[in-house]
Amino acid sequence: MTGSPLDLSVAFSVGPVAVSEPVVITWGIIVFLGLGSWLLTRRMEARAGTGQAVLELVVGALDDQIRAAVGHDPARFRTLVGTLFLFILTANWSSLVPGIEPPTAHLETDAALAGIVFAATIWFGITSRGLGGYLRGFAEPSWVMLPLNLVEQITRTFSLMVRLFGNVMSGVFVVGIVLSLAGLLVPIPLMALDLLTGAVQAYIFATLALVFIASAVSDGRPTPPTGKETS
Amino acid sequence: MGFDWITLAFQAVNVLILLAILRHFLFRPVARIIAERQAAIARTLDEAEKARAAAAKAGEDARAEAERTAAARHDALARARAEAEAQAATILEAARDEAEKIKAAAREEARAEQRRAEAEQLARTGALALDLAERLMQSLPEDRRVAGYAARLAQVLASLPADRRRALFDSETPQLIAPRPLGPAEAAEVQAALAPYFATTPPVSVDPGLIAGLELRGRHGSIGNSLRHDLTRIAQVARNEG
Repeated sequence: MTGSPLDLSVAFSVGPVAVSEPVVITWGIIVFLGLGSWLLTRRMEARAGTGQAVLELVVGALDDQIRAAVGHDPARFRTLVGTLFLFILTANWSSLVPGIEPPTAHLETDAALAGIVFAATIWFGITSRGLGGYLRGFAEPSWVMLPLNLVEQITRTFSLMVRLFGNVMSGVFVVGIVLSLAGLLVPIPLMALDLLTGAVQAYIFATLALVFIASAVSDGRPTPPTGKETS
Repeated sequence: MGFDWITLAFQAVNVLILLAILRHFLFRPVARIIAERQAAIARTLDEAEKARAAAAKAGEDARAEAERTAAARHDALARARAEAEAQAATILEAARDEAEKIKAAAREEARAEQRRAEAEQLARTGALALDLAERLMQSLPEDRRVAGYAARLAQVLASLPADRRRALFDSETPQLIAPRPLGPAEAAEVQAALAPYFATTPPVSVDPGLIAGLELRGRHGSIGNSLRHDLTRIAQVARNEG
């Protein structure tokens, strides 16, 4: 990427609808993750093999993170947070494939992700506390905070979007510039650094989404563990 | 350059689709297998706890059984010891009784042997006395073997009650036994002595075994009045007293 980071390449058009490259790449990522999940989970056994053990370790760590943030059953939030993390990580690392630009390096993808987090925050907040309870949460700790809390809902969603977009786009942009100036092997350290940045950004995005959801479902008081969790 | 809302919509739908796919193919199976494993672990722990409790109970039962067995063994030993002691006491008592019986029998046998020996001794002594008396009488004059015995025989007859005398010599005349043939004076003396008791003078028979004396013998009885009779009585009395 050496042009404007806000430019989108159209992969193909279906009538008046232009399908951009990030969408196509995202489809590829969906197929990759879906097939990989199916292959890894089609023969689950109580006596776990190596692949299954790694999967259980990842899901277990994810559940621990959710339990630490929310304080109770992680099953409600596991799919959303886990999907965000895996998708962003896979999308960020997709830059390792020659000719592929990460979808997260484009603002539309990050905006879609942030929008989903925004909607999920509202959904979990209302389903957990009720509409009145959720709305009263904006007036806490006092009514004076109502405008600020409302603005915060928007700004932190923009923050999520811009943070992910800026970090991933900048990494891809720098690697593209160095590659065009220096040669084939020079940007490799920058690409390794980009891998680390991509993993960190995936973790940050998922953790922030979790924190936003946790703040929406909690009424300011610590939630005791239920003791019985569902899958 | 700009913001593509169509791409935004596509990507939002894509993420939602991916969310559904991962939910179905990744998170649910993994969470389910983790839950199943946790349930299996819980069941195993419960079963292990039950097994441990059962083992502890079995251990308690075994200890109680061992204690009961030890108590029963102790009781059985005590009973066996008591029975053995009682049996030993019984056997000892029986042995003691048997020994006493054997000792008593031995003492009785010894006494009988002693009595037999004394009787034999007395018999020998009596025989010796008879022999000595006979030898002494043979060395004396012949009239000393009869003299005085007729009066003594009359005294014996006189001392007998009349019915006894009749029972001895009724309806018959007894024989008069003398150690030698009587002389005329001796026969007269005898006749005079027996006349009050017998109508006829008893016939005289000779028996040197008398040594000295005169005896009357009938079918129902006799009157011993001789030295041999005296020595025999002395020996018999001595035997009886011994």
